[in-house]
Amino acid sequence: MEFLAFLFIVVGIVLVVLWLYIVRQGDAEFDFLVDQRTEFALNELTKDKAVFSCVVPFLNKGTQDGTIMDCYPRHLMPFEYYKGCHIQSRLTLESNRRDDGYWEALIVFKTTGDAVVLTLTFTDGNGDIKQALAGIPDMPIDLVYQVVARSDWYISKKRLVMSAAEIQAALHRAGAEQ
Amino acid sequence: MEELQLIPVKTRILTPKDNIVDAIEHYAKGQIGPNDVVSVAESVVAITQGRAVRPEELNPGILARIMCRFVPQKGSMSSIYGMQAAMNVEGEWRMFFAMLLGMLGKLIGRSGLFYELAGAQAALVDDVTGTMPPFDKHIVYGPDNPNGVAEEIKNRFGCYGAAVADVNDLKRAAVLGITSGLEPHKVAKILIDNPFGNASQMTPIVIIKNYAQAEARVVQNS
Repeated sequence: MEFLAFLFIVVGIVLVVLWLYIVRQGDAEFDFLVDQRTEFALNELTKDKAVFSCVVPFLNKGTQDGTIMDCYPRHLMPFEYYKGCHIQSRLTLESNRRDDGYWEALIVFKTTGDAVVLTLTFTDGNGDIKQALAGIPDMPIDLVYQVVARSDWYISKKRLVMSAAEIQAALHRAGAEQ
Repeated sequence: MEELQLIPVKTRILTPKDNIVDAIEHYAKGQIGPNDVVSVAESVVAITQGRAVRPEELNPGILARIMCRFVPQKGSMSSIYGMQAAMNVEGEWRMFFAMLLGMLGKLIGRSGLFYELAGAQAALVDDVTGTMPPFDKHIVYGPDNPNGVAEEIKNRFGCYGAAVADVNDLKRAAVLGITSGLEPHKVAKILIDNPFGNASQMTPIVIIKNYAQAEARVVQNS
């Protein structure tokens, strides 16, 4: 009986030590720094299309390396809210840009980061994108990312807002530069 | 005198729907001669064998959750999914005792014991990001029966030999499967500069031209 109790105590101590080790080791922890993003800039403007982009930095502020296995934008503009134009969104890693919308799984070392380039394309079927953008409201955009690290994979998201004022300012800046 | 020459062969992305020997025939048959050795990248052989799994398809157990914590971060088994993938092939308890003995071995100055005892797949599993898109979101195992694959390549093309190799840009080359008569370390040495390319080069086949003559010259000179 005494031996059994001793065994339980030893196993208990081992489990506590393991738990403490794992807690102390920690894990990767990602944050998309939407408050440090750049202003949206106008990349391209035609009669029926306008393309805007901004750069959003991200950081692995955790204590372990981690992998962003997937990452994509989700713009939230239901037709009940605004149906003046068609919108497409995509993002790519700033340091290794791709133009196919594919996110290549990326190891991010602890305490380091990179940035994503978020691109929004607005198209107007009536051929007057400036007119269509004149009435557009603020648009929330979720940056959705899937993480694999030392614990179970998870999907998280961080929201930024592309404001109507920012769109108009980008159009104005581009007009002034021309 | 024919010189040793490495010829990387570009292919499209090979998938589990492909057969690696058929792919070699399609992309490289006209370039393979009787004095050549055909080498193929192990990860691509594994992919064509369907030996890739997504983390979402795995259910890591408590052992994988704990043991991955003791693998250095750069190791493929440092994530619970990489560890569980290796365990699914080699067995959970084998891996557990291999790690236990590996730790004890380190205490007495004997390193590398874990990988010796845990089985071949423990060293060959590539975690996510380890392979080019679209398999960057997969854990890719080592190939099954690499010696058999090498023999099949040799028989199909009548070449001097064939090898299945694991090579990376860090000047590490290992031959996992090879036809009889060839020496793995010699082929590995030839492939050390990674002519396969591990990213988007898409050259999973490398023909070592004139290997037979080069080997004969070495024998003559010695």
